[in-house]
Amino acid sequence: MDRVNTGVSGLDKMLGGGFLRETANLVEGAPGTGKTTLGMQFIHHGIVHQNEPGLIITFEEFPKQYYHDAAAFGWDFKELEKKGLLKVVMTSPEVSRLDIESVGGMIERHIDEMGARRVVVDSMSHFARITQDPVELRSLEFQFINALKREKLTALLTRESPVLLGESVQEASIGFIVDSYIVLRYVEIESAIRKALLVLKMRGSDHAKDIRQYDITTNGFDVQSKFEGQEGILSGNPRKMAASFVEAFVKK
Amino acid sequence: MASNEDDFTARLMDDMDPVLLDFVKTKVNSFIKWDLVRFFHENPNTADTVENIAKYAGRNVTAVEPELDELVHDEIMEKRLLGDTPIYQLVTDEAMRDLVDKFISACEDRHFRVKAVYHIIRGMR
Repeated sequence: MDRVNTGVSGLDKMLGGGFLRETANLVEGAPGTGKTTLGMQFIHHGIVHQNEPGLIITFEEFPKQYYHDAAAFGWDFKELEKKGLLKVVMTSPEVSRLDIESVGGMIERHIDEMGARRVVVDSMSHFARITQDPVELRSLEFQFINALKREKLTALLTRESPVLLGESVQEASIGFIVDSYIVLRYVEIESAIRKALLVLKMRGSDHAKDIRQYDITTNGFDVQSKFEGQEGILSGNPRKMAASFVEAFVKK
Repeated sequence: MASNEDDFTARLMDDMDPVLLDFVKTKVNSFIKWDLVRFFHENPNTADTVENIAKYAGRNVTAVEPELDELVHDEIMEKRLLGDTPIYQLVTDEAMRDLVDKFISACEDRHFRVKAVYHIIRGMR
């Protein structure tokens, strides 16, 4: 199967080598969990290491902020734009939806001009601005994702989770539409906040089922080992497993 | 005497690159246009409705729309219809984008900014 490396080796291992090509992949997390950083790394890695130009479609954060944030990791997005390998497009969900559905629209033109293979949409949560009706919303998201696939793009879509600690109570119909679903969570362990990553779903491929720790370093995302001796990680307040259980099952 | 002083000030304020002087006098001749041009320079691939652009600029739609239309008329911005919805974006023409770059770069100089402000206020009279 043709894999698309994310640029985060630990995550690629969890995904069995990376995303499947021309699929839509959702990354959900609370503010500050690194959804946008992961998206930028995915795009930067594609351009610099895989010769795959990329597009970032942002619905709220200004492109200026992306240039600035990317520079903090040593990724020169302005230069990549000058070279015609990247476009950071700011628009709204309603405009992008109409645009990508039309023939010869702005997004299609950018994709054709650059030969883009990757796209980040930051964030899909803003589609809720178009309609309050969950059935219509699912239909709009489905249509938008299909348009990205029609353009032969491998997409990383972010989604905001309003819950800082613990599991999201939002209805997430988009989770059914996408091909893979990655969850980023804050976890409180011994009076410190750590970050946890889980691949909830991956259509057409096996994937790691464990919950991994990760950090955002000066080089970007760094996926580390799984949480040992803890249970209830996704609740945000994990408990230590009973020593006898750890002895019997975890350490073996 | 006042007239001589006015002339002196005008000559002093006209002391800038003639291309930029014309740009300030005839194209970016309002503070809202200045803000919009700076916004699109910093976020060059933005394409959106006037309502959303007004939100990005932190201004009122009724104030922004005529200014955007004048920028379209002056070929700094372009306007296209997506269905029935007008969408605005910076023109792709390289010469115009270079001129916008030149203007924004020049604005980093305080003396240039003072002169540009003078011409904008004068044009508003």
